[in-house]
Amino acid sequence: MILVRSPLRISFVGGGTDLAPFFAQHPGRVVSATINKFVYVVVNSTPLINKITVKYQKTEQVSHPSELEHPSIKAALIDLGLLEQGVEIGSFADLPSKIGLGSSSSFSVALMKGLHAYRGRKLSKKEAAEAACRLEIDLLAEPIGKQDQYAAAFGGFNLFQFNPDRSVDVEPLLLDYKKRSLLEDHLLLFFTGITRSASSVLREQHSNINNHLETYKKMAGAARVFSNCLMEGDMERMAALLREGWLHKKKLASTITNALINEFYESGMASGALAGKILGAGGGGSLLFLAPPHAHENIIDMLETMARKNNLAEWKHIPFKFVQSGTDIIFNRDGNIY
Amino acid sequence: METYIEKLIGEVTDVMGRLPIREIAKAINVIQATYERDGRIYIFGNGGSLAIATHWVSDFNKTVFSHNLGKHTRRFQAIRLPTTEEELSAWANDEGYDMVFAGPLQNYLQETDCVIGISSSGNSLNVIKAVELARNHHVPVIGLMGFDGGKLRELADVKIHVATEKGRYEIVEGIHAVIFHVITKYFQDLFGHMIKQ
Repeated sequence: MILVRSPLRISFVGGGTDLAPFFAQHPGRVVSATINKFVYVVVNSTPLINKITVKYQKTEQVSHPSELEHPSIKAALIDLGLLEQGVEIGSFADLPSKIGLGSSSSFSVALMKGLHAYRGRKLSKKEAAEAACRLEIDLLAEPIGKQDQYAAAFGGFNLFQFNPDRSVDVEPLLLDYKKRSLLEDHLLLFFTGITRSASSVLREQHSNINNHLETYKKMAGAARVFSNCLMEGDMERMAALLREGWLHKKKLASTITNALINEFYESGMASGALAGKILGAGGGGSLLFLAPPHAHENIIDMLETMARKNNLAEWKHIPFKFVQSGTDIIFNRDGNIY
Repeated sequence: METYIEKLIGEVTDVMGRLPIREIAKAINVIQATYERDGRIYIFGNGGSLAIATHWVSDFNKTVFSHNLGKHTRRFQAIRLPTTEEELSAWANDEGYDMVFAGPLQNYLQETDCVIGISSSGNSLNVIKAVELARNHHVPVIGLMGFDGGKLRELADVKIHVATEKGRYEIVEGIHAVIFHVITKYFQDLFGHMIKQ
């Protein structure tokens, strides 16, 4: 049995500049960090069950991968030529999917790392990130970027640069624990209770990229400045850059924000936050606020009341810590004792 | 005599002023990621470097947590290779000295682990063999070397290179000890901070 663990991520600035139509013209840049919420993928050999079994919200049992409904497992198995029966693949997660924390790409990286390991091949971080990008962008034609696959595969705080020649530079941002901890003490993460597929928002964003080139360039430029502020632990300047980023991002597609999300944002700001942003493609997902610790209780209460009024039963404050680890195979043993 | 000593200390200070700080920071991140996935840290080297490996293991497993041992239920799992003199002599005698680290490492190595190889020349064949084994498994390698860095500098993911003239073991080994103490102190402070939270 092979068990792969893959972290979710929080992206701070530059989201969207990792989309190919932009970085093909101008380098895209994103700053993000992985958190202690994980997606798990299990790949297990079942020599006595002559089927391909896939377990997620539902269980599928088929004779050939082409019969599978799960799009990415189906595409991955066919692409890798893993057509033989006698294997089961399952997925587990600390949080629901489609909440803006990059979970589908975290899943893809874990899946590719797990399937390659099942065939006896160990992928490096870069190979795992690229394998997941190939699966999601090339094979499944998802209109997504590359930041989430890289964030999950590498782990920790990073500045990613997406180059026109399709290469990706990974610059780890080496924060000491005091700065990391100070940042954790300032951040508040909420799941809005509204789930959406990133693709719907990103499809619109994709088709509009050339109309907003200057905005994207500013966002890519801000990533470098943000990483410097992050290294210095400068909360005020980070907040200013996040506020600016949110104003830019709102322009990129009509569905990125809506009246309710704006209301949550304004309410958070009125309750003492220095900055806020939507995490993920937009239209729902999660909200991140940067706020002095003494304001946290107030913000949590205000937003919770608002969520209740709007019948958002799934609204949740998500306490988290940053992690340094990326997508790791944490267990890998076959059934043979000797 | 005093001038002679001052000159030697001056040489050490010069090298200390040129340490690869960013690589030491990267080493800390690799060790932190290993801790997060509950992996093990294997440390090895020859002669004085073996003494450093042993000291490092002891400090990682106990000193880092010693201010509050009871409260840290999950601690570092650092292991010096080989773990016993009997294994050292058995591998050396039966399989050759090249295998004294790679041999025992193969028994333990999991994908969640990391290795720290220490070699002043960077060319000790037994250290290189163990590092190659780790690399084949995509297990991260932290290398501590001196002189021109040797082969270990090429192979290690994190290159803590104490650059000196060839043969200056006393400078390299002394500074390697300082570096591992810096790393130890960082984690001691980090885990102390976690307890306070």
